[in-house]
Amino acid sequence: MTADPGETPAGTAGDGMADLTLDAKVAAADVPPELVAQSLGQYLRAWWLQVRSGNSGVLPVVLAIVIVAVVFEAVTPEHAFLRPSNLVYIFGLSTVYMVLAMAETVVLLLAEVDLSVGAVALIGGVIAFKLVQQPGPDWPWWAAVLAALACCGVIGALQGTLTALLRIPSFVVTLGGFLLFSGILIVILGGADASVNLNSSVTNQRVIYDMVQGLIAPIVGWIILAVVVVAVGTALWLRSAARRRQGLVAPPLSLTAIRIALVAIVGVAVVIICTVNRGTSLVTVAGVPWVIPIVLVVLGAWTLVLQRTRFGRYIYAIGGNPEAARRAGVSLPAIRTWAFALCSATAGLGGILLGSFFYGEYSTNTADPGQLVLYSIAAAVIGGVSLFGGRGKAIHGVLGGLLIGGIAYGVSLLNLGELATPLEYILPGGVLLAAVLIDVLSRRGAGSVTHV
Amino acid sequence: MSDVRGTSDEEVPVTADPGETPAGTTGAGMADLTLDAKVAAADVPPELLAQSLGQYFRAWWLRVRSGNSGVLPVVLGIVVVAVSFQIANSKFLSAQNLVNLFEQSTVYMLLAIGEIFALLLGEIDLSVGLVMGLGSVVVAELVQPTGADWPWWAAIIATLLACSAVGAIQGSLVARLKMPSFIVTLGGLLILEGVAILVLGGTLVGIGNSQYSNEVVLYDIFWGTFNPVVGWILMAVLVGAAGTGLWLREASKRRHGLETPPRSLTAMKIVLMAVAGIAVVAICNVNRAHSGTIEGVPYIIAIVLVVLAAWTVLLQRTRFGRYVYAIGGNPEAARRAGVSLPAVRTWGFVLAALTSGIAGVLFASWQVSLTTNIIKASNSYVLLAVAAAVIGGTSLFGGRGKTIHGVLGGLVIGGIYNGLYLLGVSSQWIDVAVAAVLLAAALVDVLSRRGAPGQT
Repeated sequence: MTADPGETPAGTAGDGMADLTLDAKVAAADVPPELVAQSLGQYLRAWWLQVRSGNSGVLPVVLAIVIVAVVFEAVTPEHAFLRPSNLVYIFGLSTVYMVLAMAETVVLLLAEVDLSVGAVALIGGVIAFKLVQQPGPDWPWWAAVLAALACCGVIGALQGTLTALLRIPSFVVTLGGFLLFSGILIVILGGADASVNLNSSVTNQRVIYDMVQGLIAPIVGWIILAVVVVAVGTALWLRSAARRRQGLVAPPLSLTAIRIALVAIVGVAVVIICTVNRGTSLVTVAGVPWVIPIVLVVLGAWTLVLQRTRFGRYIYAIGGNPEAARRAGVSLPAIRTWAFALCSATAGLGGILLGSFFYGEYSTNTADPGQLVLYSIAAAVIGGVSLFGGRGKAIHGVLGGLLIGGIAYGVSLLNLGELATPLEYILPGGVLLAAVLIDVLSRRGAGSVTHV
Repeated sequence: MSDVRGTSDEEVPVTADPGETPAGTTGAGMADLTLDAKVAAADVPPELLAQSLGQYFRAWWLRVRSGNSGVLPVVLGIVVVAVSFQIANSKFLSAQNLVNLFEQSTVYMLLAIGEIFALLLGEIDLSVGLVMGLGSVVVAELVQPTGADWPWWAAIIATLLACSAVGAIQGSLVARLKMPSFIVTLGGLLILEGVAILVLGGTLVGIGNSQYSNEVVLYDIFWGTFNPVVGWILMAVLVGAAGTGLWLREASKRRHGLETPPRSLTAMKIVLMAVAGIAVVAICNVNRAHSGTIEGVPYIIAIVLVVLAAWTVLLQRTRFGRYVYAIGGNPEAARRAGVSLPAVRTWGFVLAALTSGIAGVLFASWQVSLTTNIIKASNSYVLLAVAAAVIGGTSLFGGRGKTIHGVLGGLVIGGIYNGLYLLGVSSQWIDVAVAAVLLAAALVDVLSRRGAPGQT
């Protein structure tokens, strides 16, 4: 490690990348580009070095999303794929995959796997729906949602305890959990033919009913967007300013500015797309669906937990090298158990959103828990979460989920007849294999870095 | 025997070298052994230490207590399942239901045997359920008189080849590109689900038309039975052959001065085989029909026995089998000993897929007509296959397990399904019960590995 980022970043970067020896180049590839770069050009060069050495981050999945969007736009009849109405629908369809993939990410970061997220998600949804029934428990919606998340959290904690304390492989514990909770799900639902519905005319139930499909009035949407962009921008700017004031290594100012501008542009684009009238000339359907801010809040929460808390650092530490983490004093059983609990609680939220997406109806046909979990793992891995632990972010789950949802909906638009159902399986499977191949090959590249 | 070699930890000082001083070790009596020797003795197959039946049982019990419990837990499990369901419903152990139960368990047994090839290598194959699904669709489509119209044997061979090819592709990805088997077979599962639905063509395909001889043969694979007399003759030939083989092998080992189990043990094994054979044939030859006659040993019992025997020989008596256990026990050690990991791993996945393909042919015959929903449902079979293998006593950590475990585990799962169904329990509670059994089996696996010598 000739380029110690804490001491001589300016010296290293000032020489220009071309002058670096191979050793320094390899070392630089292991350091976030913010730390070695003083100008935007240097940042981009350092970033490209990172990408080339295997730390490609979100780049592959973003490229894949662009390719999928372009291809489907080109081949769908009437080029309908990128219509605002379809884009909004795709986001709603992808929600459950995004949230479940974020949940799965936490466990994958530990180099474990949770096969029960699908069943747990459905249990969470059914519990929340049952608790607001009227006549019935008639709980306020927030209490029902919290109770559902708590139940799922307890389920996760139980599975986590079996994995963390007894060291039964998480694969088997959650495989058993998958069977167990798929059965219990039907019991809670009240039988294989039963269903539970939200009554959209009851205000309390309407809140959950509207979580995905409910719309924020266009003006309110713009106001929220402005507040969010200003808040995020100020936070980013202040943090990098504070770092600079205290003499810490900070990304170049221009980079911070570009990031804020990107957030603003994406936000404006989303609101504009959502504000287009998606209904008919008689019935106006316009506005940002509530699900977008909800997913953003979950994403923000998980990003904060994983990147800025001690718990998050411990998760990465355990995923990277459990023995090293243990010797550094990290309590492996506690962190593992909590990770499984939080994973399941997040999955429970995904289940509530799934029911909301299906217009507040939950039956055994709503979703197949097995397929949900396969798609969620696929989404996380496609998004860029490593299966070997220690590498991945919440945003990867969101992007991977979006890709899976986009493929599923795009195929359904194609009027392929008999070919449609097979392609719904073959495409995600193929993308999953491609993603893992990239993961494995890039790890091979990255592996040489750590061993130099 | 070779599985013990595969799992035995190299660090354990084997003070009781079975090749040299077995008599001395056992002659001292188990109670006199020091702890070290006890641990070492627990690692050696009891046949090698014991000179009399009593010693054999003592050595076996020592092994069980030290974690090498083998098939004991699952046999106990089968007894518990049988007794409790019989108490709850007196029809459970009727001849009719026993045959029915075996029929329901067949597919789980074969899939579990397939899964064991992956588990022994320390890998996992999540696609066995859909390889079965794909195999069933392919074989059914190939014999359609309005379609391919192949003879039944060609259809079966083509199906098995297709399934093996799937296994070869997945195995190569795992073995050569070092992709995790979990994800390769997860992706494989999704792709195969699509391919199977594609082959099915969105409609229903059946093999139940008795006018076409090819369909009749396929149908009879699952539903056909041996004539009662033929059943008895086959059983006698089989037990006679197996018994003679066993006796001759021991005799020849004894002649060459090798370690052999006591004669009384060999005799007991042969008697047990004969009793089991007679019981099975007697049960199957009872008329099971409400009206008319359905009797005789189903073909599938013979098919399962053939697969079981073939794969047992492959794993226990060939170099390939020893390599599989070696890789599962310690891949790095196997590699340094000159074992080609990629080749053996790839073949492991090929055999897993091939066995699933056999299950697929049976599945097509069992279901008679296949629909998209049946194909979609076949992906949940993998969970039961893993459950059956683990319940049967195969370790999830590689290197420990036998094909017989798949058969016994499949019988437990089939028994639970059948028994709870007889009691009118709805399917969701059956899933709960299977999950509980799976978790219990995994717990036993983990705890017994902890108790095993050298693992602490």
